[in-house]
Amino acid sequence: MRPLARLKPLLRLSRACKQHQRFLSTTTEPANAWTSTLAALTKPRKPAKEIPTFKPPPSARQICADPIAALTASQLTQLDPTGARTRLFSRKNPEVARVGDVLLVRLKNGDPFAGVCLNIRRRGIDTGILLRGQLTRVGVEMWYKVYSPNVEGIEVVQRREKRARRARLYYMRMPKHDMGSVENIVRQYQRKRAALGTGGSKSKDSAKKNNTKRGRK
Amino acid sequence: MIQLKTLINCIDNSGAAVVECVNVLRSKRPAKVGDRIVVVVQKQRNFGPESGSGGSVSVGAAHKVRRGDIRHAVVVRTAKKYQRPDGSVVKFDDNACVLINKAGEPIGSRLNGIVASELRDKKWSKILSLAPMHL
Repeated sequence: MRPLARLKPLLRLSRACKQHQRFLSTTTEPANAWTSTLAALTKPRKPAKEIPTFKPPPSARQICADPIAALTASQLTQLDPTGARTRLFSRKNPEVARVGDVLLVRLKNGDPFAGVCLNIRRRGIDTGILLRGQLTRVGVEMWYKVYSPNVEGIEVVQRREKRARRARLYYMRMPKHDMGSVENIVRQYQRKRAALGTGGSKSKDSAKKNNTKRGRK
Repeated sequence: MIQLKTLINCIDNSGAAVVECVNVLRSKRPAKVGDRIVVVVQKQRNFGPESGSGGSVSVGAAHKVRRGDIRHAVVVRTAKKYQRPDGSVVKFDDNACVLINKAGEPIGSRLNGIVASELRDKKWSKILSLAPMHL
């Protein structure tokens, strides 16, 4: 009826035996015996081989901490030796060209392009300006690289009377806000400058003109 | 980016005002400035009351194409901006084209409006010389 009934006393007996054995083992110091056998089994160790290590290569950081900045600086000295363009678009300059101003870009090959500045993208040597104008009653937008060797000079024709409260004046593409043609403003500005002559014109503009001339030489 | 069904302004005096692109030739991509396309004239230009009343000769001369005509055209302005090799980017407010015949001669004799100077690179000097201005 109960198949495990016989097993139970047997198990109990074996457990008692184990206990008994354990008592015995404590008396005969089995630890020593174990260590001796282990020592016999393990071979004597060889002295550790030295792992070859190599020194790190010389760090490029030690040579030039910020190569991009260095490259930009070198490019700027090449493309803008007088620093006039940098000054015209640096935020530290209080007379900086801002969005909303009417700018005139004179090119080495081709006609000058004038338009209202919608966006200034300041990216070091890649700095560009987005001008929007109208030619033959068709709206035209042009991106120019400020430091392009193709650009002879950039002039501020007219400043926005109030500072624009947006960084990008894309809303000026909408017919409601479109400035239309800036041709008349530019012509007026050029006439005024021609009347004033080279010496009497605005100090900044004259300086810039001289700078560009020097740059061309 | 001129492709199938794009409505384009026609800026010559061939008599078409608005045309619709039905095919871009020699390209699987949307047409750019200087690309040749096939168009359907959708809207005719009316040359004012004096040309309408002043004899049928001028009207006939003005309306070289009719509504529904299928013609070839060259794209001269795109509203999609494109970059020039010098890094400057050009974008016009509209898409415009000039109708040409199969031989590549412009149908109209006069253009009204600025065109892109990329036409020179694409060997469309004739259109460029007709244009009042190019950029």
